[in-house]
Amino acid sequence: MMQSSPFNLRRAIIWIGRLVLAGIFIYAGYAKLTMGMHPRPPLGVALSFFALQVDSYQMLPVWAVKFVANTLPFAEIALGLLLLFGFGLRIWATLITLLIVGFFAAVLRAYLLHMQINCGCFTTPEPVSLKKIFEDGALAALAILMTVFAFIEARKPHPWSAPEKA
Amino acid sequence: MNRRRILAGILSVGLLSLLALFLPSLHKSPEPASPSAPALAQTPSETANAPTPSDTPIIPAPVVAAKAAPLPPAPQSADGLSDVDPHKAFGSKSAPVTMEVFSDFQCPACKTLFLTTNRQLMDNYVTTGKVYLIHRDFPLAMHAHSRVAARYARAAAQLGKVEPVEQALFQNQEKWEQSGDVDGTVAAVLSAGEMTKVRALVKGGTLDAAIDKDFALGQTYRVNQTPTTVFHCKGQTYPYSGVMTYDILKTFLEQLLSQK
Repeated sequence: MMQSSPFNLRRAIIWIGRLVLAGIFIYAGYAKLTMGMHPRPPLGVALSFFALQVDSYQMLPVWAVKFVANTLPFAEIALGLLLLFGFGLRIWATLITLLIVGFFAAVLRAYLLHMQINCGCFTTPEPVSLKKIFEDGALAALAILMTVFAFIEARKPHPWSAPEKA
Repeated sequence: MNRRRILAGILSVGLLSLLALFLPSLHKSPEPASPSAPALAQTPSETANAPTPSDTPIIPAPVVAAKAAPLPPAPQSADGLSDVDPHKAFGSKSAPVTMEVFSDFQCPACKTLFLTTNRQLMDNYVTTGKVYLIHRDFPLAMHAHSRVAARYARAAAQLGKVEPVEQALFQNQEKWEQSGDVDGTVAAVLSAGEMTKVRALVKGGTLDAAIDKDFALGQTYRVNQTPTTVFHCKGQTYPYSGVMTYDILKTFLEQLLSQK
């Protein structure tokens, strides 16, 4: 079996991806729950306000909007932590990639339809713009690379694991 | 599990914890608006007359400038809100929730919001004293006739006829935005006598000051698109941009109203 170097490019991208995406996901979930306000508004207010933002994309029926709004912030925090810890990396990396690609598609659709809405990603209102699409595109590319490389690297023995006995 | 991998995981968590410690500084409560902040922006009337290169939705320059300005302090009640035109405000001032809707008569999303959600909101929350609804003008520079339409709506509001006029302007938006015939659209729902008074008010040139005040207020809330709804409840301000489905809006309002 091929030995993987501890500091090859693939591993570097996996690490960068894990740190960046985990940080962004945890912050995004936290921001949705606190709305960037002091004192923090009640959870019900924050989640129902986020539901308005999900609804502004006009993509989902009411029940799905409520489901996404009530679960996504917690899922973002949980996925961010799991990605950071690295247990079952390939599973969480795949899930995060699917989510980011989904966000990217939603933002791109809103931009192409000239929808005058905010992204709803964090606490600060950010209009859906070309800049936002590039940001989301870059994150989606990083997530895809991280996931693909995680699968490739998983086929090789970990460089820090104990050497195999002869 | 290798020890080094565990160590690397702990280090990563530590790094993110450090980052989290700095997060509160990103969320500091906004300071009161400085008197110099509006000076950053062009006056709204200049904006309305400025030519736009295309029909692509853009953020008007004054709005971009205003994004850097701090949010105004949240009023504890509707009495704390500035420049409320009683003719364009509905419901009870003592309602627990106040909604300021910044809209542009030529914006399609504003039309959708008005025609789909507004009626149910009025019937179930405004007339029952739960929500105080204020219509604010925010005519975007990219729309050639929206300021004219805002003048007519304000003039009609002074005669107590704001609802039929707003309804007519939104329902016939596609027609008058192509022909520019705002006057004809408004005349169709008012009597000849009322229309004479409306035209006199529009020609009087006094309505622009009120529209500009709404626009400037929108800038302090960092409004950069229409419709934008600013909710006030219990001293907190929640700005939201976009169309709202009534069922989702209802859930949010119920949450606001259930706060102790």
